Amino acid sequence: MKSFWLATERLLSQLARLALWVSGAGLTLMTIIIFWQVFSRYVLNRSPSWTESFSVLLMGWFIFLGAAVGVRERTHLGFDVLLYFLPHAAKAVLRSISDIVVLAFGAGMIVYGVQLTMLTWNTVMPSLALPGGVGFLPVILGGALVCLFSLERLAGRFAGLPVDADQYATGEEDL
Amino acid sequence: MALTVLFGTFVFLLIIGTPIAFCLGVASFATVLVLGLPPLVVFQRLNSGVSVFSLMAIPFFIFAGDLMVRGGIAARLVALAGSLVGHLRGGLGQVNIAASTMFGGISGSAVADASAVGGLMIPQMKARGYGVDYAVNITSVGAIIALLIPPSHNMIIYSISAGGRISIADLFTAGVLPGLLLALSLMITAYWVASRRGYPTEPFAGFGRALQLLLAAIPGLILIGIIFGGVRSGIFTATESSCIAIVYAFLVTLIIYRSMSWNDFVTATTAAVRTTAMVLMIIGCAAAFGWLLAYLRVPAALVAFLQSVSDNKLVILLMINVVLLILGTFMDMSPLIIITTPIFLPVVMAYGVDPVHFGVILILNLGIGLCTPPVGAVLFVSCAIGRIPIWTAMRSIWPFYGAAFAVLMLVTYIPEISLWLPSLFH
Repeated sequence: MKSFWLATERLLSQLARLALWVSGAGLTLMTIIIFWQVFSRYVLNRSPSWTESFSVLLMGWFIFLGAAVGVRERTHLGFDVLLYFLPHAAKAVLRSISDIVVLAFGAGMIVYGVQLTMLTWNTVMPSLALPGGVGFLPVILGGALVCLFSLERLAGRFAGLPVDADQYATGEEDL
Repeated sequence: MALTVLFGTFVFLLIIGTPIAFCLGVASFATVLVLGLPPLVVFQRLNSGVSVFSLMAIPFFIFAGDLMVRGGIAARLVALAGSLVGHLRGGLGQVNIAASTMFGGISGSAVADASAVGGLMIPQMKARGYGVDYAVNITSVGAIIALLIPPSHNMIIYSISAGGRISIADLFTAGVLPGLLLALSLMITAYWVASRRGYPTEPFAGFGRALQLLLAAIPGLILIGIIFGGVRSGIFTATESSCIAIVYAFLVTLIIYRSMSWNDFVTATTAAVRTTAMVLMIIGCAAAFGWLLAYLRVPAALVAFLQSVSDNKLVILLMINVVLLILGTFMDMSPLIIITTPIFLPVVMAYGVDPVHFGVILILNLGIGLCTPPVGAVLFVSCAIGRIPIWTAMRSIWPFYGAAFAVLMLVTYIPEISLWLPSLFH
C-alpha cells in the first residue's frame, strides 16, 4: 500500500512539473511572439495577423495548466483565517469540503469543456485557420489535472499523509 | 433565491478556505443550476474571460519585474535612491520610499515592490539600528506607490473589468500624481516618526558618487521612459510594452550586468507562472460570476438602493470607500477589482464620477487593503523579510495608515489630482 502511494505521489509530482514546464514554455513563447509582432510592425513594416490570436491561445494553456499545479502546491489565494482557530479534526473536514468542491469544478471543466469543444469544432478561428474548438482544449486538460490533484489531496488526507503541511508538494526545492 | 445561492455559496466557501478562484467558479456553477440555465455558459465565460489580449500584460509585467529583481536592475535603483535622499531625517526610511517610487516605474505589482525593495532595505535598516517594525511598515505602505505609478497591471485589470472601454494610457497617466503625492506624504510621516525615535541620517555621499550610481541605474531609468512613453504616445499597447520590458530586462541583465544564469531564468519563469496563472484563473472565474451579477441585475438594484440613501456624490463616495476598505482587509486586490468594478462603477458614474478617477480611487483604496490583516499580501511579505510577527508591525503602523488614508481622501475629493495630467494629453 505504501509503495503504491509513493509511486502515485511520484507520478503526480512529475505530472505537475511537466505542466509547470509547459506553462513556462508557453509564457516564453508568448513573449517571443509579441516581441516579433512589435518588431515586424516597426522594423519590417508589416503587421502579422496571427500573433495576437495565437498568443491568446497559448495563454489558455499557460493559465489552466498553471492553475491546476496551484491546486497541488496550494499556492492559490484564499481566505484561510478561520482555519487557524479551529481544532485539527474540524480543519480536516473543512479542507476536505474545499477539495471536493474543487474536484467538482474540475469535473465541470472536463464535461463542459468537451461539450464546448464539440460544439465549436466546425467553426474556424479567423486569422489562424484552426478549428474554434481548439481554444477549449486547455480547459479540458486543466480540468483533468485539477481533478487528479484534488483527489490526491483528499486520498492523502484520508490516509493520514501530511497533505496540509506547509512544505508539502511545493516543488520549490527541486528547481 | 438565485442571488442567495450566488452570494451564499461564495461566502461559505470563502470562509472555509477554498481558493478564491474556485469560490467564484463554484458559486456561479451552483447558481446557473438553480436558475436552470445551461451550465455550459459558466465554462464558456471562464474561457472567454481569460482569452483577452490585454490580460497578457499581467504575466508579462510580473515576469519582467522578477527578471529585474534577479538581474540587479532593482538593486541599482535602490542604490541610486540611497545617494539622493539618504541624508534626510529617517535616512534609510526615505531611501526605501524613494526606491519604491522608482521601482514602481518599471513594475506594477506591490508584492514585487515589497519583496524587491524590502529584501534589500530591511536587512540594511536592521543593521543600522532602525526598528524592524519601522522598516517593515515603510516597506509595506510604500509598496502601494508602485500600484499608482505606471505601469500598473491592476489598472489593466480595472480597465478590463469595466468592459475594456477605459483608456489604459489615461489610467496610467492619472496614477502619476497620486503616486507622487503618496510618496511625499509617506516621506513626511517617515521623517516625523524618525525624529520621535531619534533615528540617524546618512551622510551625503557626494555628487561624484551620486553621478556614478545614476550611470549604473540608467538602464532601469530608461525602461521607465520606454514603458510610459510608449504606452502614452500609442507607439505600442500596454501588453506590447510589458513584453518589451521583459526582453529589455533580459538583455540588460544578460549583456550589461552579466548576472543571469539559465537557472535564474528558469526560476524567474516558473515563479511568474505560479503567481499569474492563479490570478488569471480568478479573473476567468470572476468573469462567470460577473456575468451572473449582471444577469441578476445586481448593479442596477444597488444604484437604486444607494440613490434612495443619498443623492450626494460625496456621501456615496465615502460609503464606497469604507466598504472597499473593509473588503480589502480580508480579500486580495485583483479579485476585488474584478468583483467590485462592475458593481460600483455604474453607481459612481450615475453620480457623475469620471471612470478614470474612480479607477485611481479603487486602486489606492485596495492597495491599503494589501497592508492590512487578516489578508494583506504586502504586509505578510514585508513581515516575512523582517522576521517579525504581524502584531509587532501592527502596533506602530498607524501613522503610515493615516498618511495613506489622508491621500485616499484627497484623491477621492479632488478629482483634479488624478484627472489634470491626463487632460494635458487630450
